[in-house]
Amino acid sequence: MEGAVMNRVPRGGGEGTGPGRHQSLALSLRDVRVDFPGSSADHPALDGVDVECRDGEFLVLVGRSGSGKTTILNVLSGLVTPDSGEVEILGGKPKAARDDLGFMFARDALMPWRSARRNVELGLEILGTPKAERRETAVRMLERVGLGHATGRLPAQLSQGMRQRVALARTWVRQPKLLLMDEPFSALDAQTRRESQQVFLDTWADSSASVVLVTHDLTEALLLADRLVLLSAGKVLREVTIPFERPRDLDELVTSDEFRRLERELWELLI
Amino acid sequence: MTVIEEARAPARAPVARGVDTKHRVLSAGGGFLLQLLPLGVMLGLWQLAAELELGRPLVVRSPGQVWTAFMDLHSSGVLWSNAWATLQATIVAMALASVIGIVIGLTLALAPRIERVVNPYLSAMNSAPRIAFAPVFIIIFGIGMSSKVALAFSVIIFVIILNARAGVHAADPDVVRLMEVLGANRRQTFTKLLFPVSVPSIFAGLRLALIYSLLGVVTSEMIAARDGLGQLVAQYAGNFQLDYVYAVILVLVVIGTALNSLAGVVERRLLWWKAP
Repeated sequence: MEGAVMNRVPRGGGEGTGPGRHQSLALSLRDVRVDFPGSSADHPALDGVDVECRDGEFLVLVGRSGSGKTTILNVLSGLVTPDSGEVEILGGKPKAARDDLGFMFARDALMPWRSARRNVELGLEILGTPKAERRETAVRMLERVGLGHATGRLPAQLSQGMRQRVALARTWVRQPKLLLMDEPFSALDAQTRRESQQVFLDTWADSSASVVLVTHDLTEALLLADRLVLLSAGKVLREVTIPFERPRDLDELVTSDEFRRLERELWELLI
Repeated sequence: MTVIEEARAPARAPVARGVDTKHRVLSAGGGFLLQLLPLGVMLGLWQLAAELELGRPLVVRSPGQVWTAFMDLHSSGVLWSNAWATLQATIVAMALASVIGIVIGLTLALAPRIERVVNPYLSAMNSAPRIAFAPVFIIIFGIGMSSKVALAFSVIIFVIILNARAGVHAADPDVVRLMEVLGANRRQTFTKLLFPVSVPSIFAGLRLALIYSLLGVVTSEMIAARDGLGQLVAQYAGNFQLDYVYAVILVLVVIGTALNSLAGVVERRLLWWKAP
């Protein structure tokens, strides 16, 4: 994939980054506690969680089901209000609808009656972007994710992977400062998933967005992240800074010895 | 390593799932002739039954006799003026019920609190045999077009309301959430998501309603009316002229089928994005 070799400044909390370069925070959770209604006070969904993500950083929250990772995302998007603790996101309180916040879900959520291009335009339509401009932006973004040939196709005429790339383009056209992703690749087969991850990393390189991605897939977490937060039973188990350089060629990275060693090490932590 | 590389060659999922040629075979020219076959067989058996005098001759008229009756109705002009009366009432009822039903259905779906209050009444009225109201409407509206329209309207309005409402509820929760996080206001959510998403279901309702509208009108006409095909049926049946009754019924079948095909054409135009 040609896009993989695009130049990109290393950023986030990576070890190669100079100190003090990324001091401003895209978001922070401090001592956040969330009790689920009906659950006992002994087992809160989140129990004193501290997480922060620097500007431009790629943060991945990993854990098995019930570890609290999706709850963190819901707190960040304003869907869940914590019972105690402080949350700040892009310098304000969490709320769902913000122009500078982007979302990706496991399902592509495309509208079946809209062509790929019109699906990508959707986010801009809501912002009130003039027609000609949003059309041009949408086409450019679709070209960027490798779908320049399919702008006029309906979702039913696209494969799963292509559909997820349309969803990706729809997210990027809004130029979000922070992207919240909830298992965005989990519905794809292994091959398509790797392709989509690569396309995502390449397009992220064009942006200056911070990313918080939630996944249960440790390999995916290691491939994508600047920093991992391992969650278990509502608590932060461990934070790990990922040493791999960017830009990353995922197919190459996943087979490297260093990658495998780190993966094995963390895997044991998670079990 | 090379083996692995090879195994990794992209295996893309098939594109163009929308084009399914299998379903098109029947609509091709050969298929149409095939579709005519059962009609030929049926007419043949009918004629045969008449010739062999199976059943009571009063009931089993031959296709030939029905044709003669049809030509008589046609040349006397009785048929078409009455057909027009029936068609007119069907379309008026349909138009009124469509506009009102779609508005009510969408409103209910968008206002869950009202929906909760109205729901039991809706389902009660929907399950009531509304054809039984025919005499009531005739007393209220007289034997002109209004009573026919009223009966047909009462029959079809609920189908349309329920389908419009169901259509909105069929919206993919993920897309609803997407609209939310994109910051869409209520109007945008309606025009860009909830209305388009309900169109297929609304159309399914309208297609049903069109046929039921014809049914309601004909029923009303049979009970009491100045004109209409239902009135003709009642009149000829009273005189035991079943060949004439069959001729009128055939015309009704043709009208019903034509209305249905017309709806099909409109539907395909509007729902072009659905797989053929």
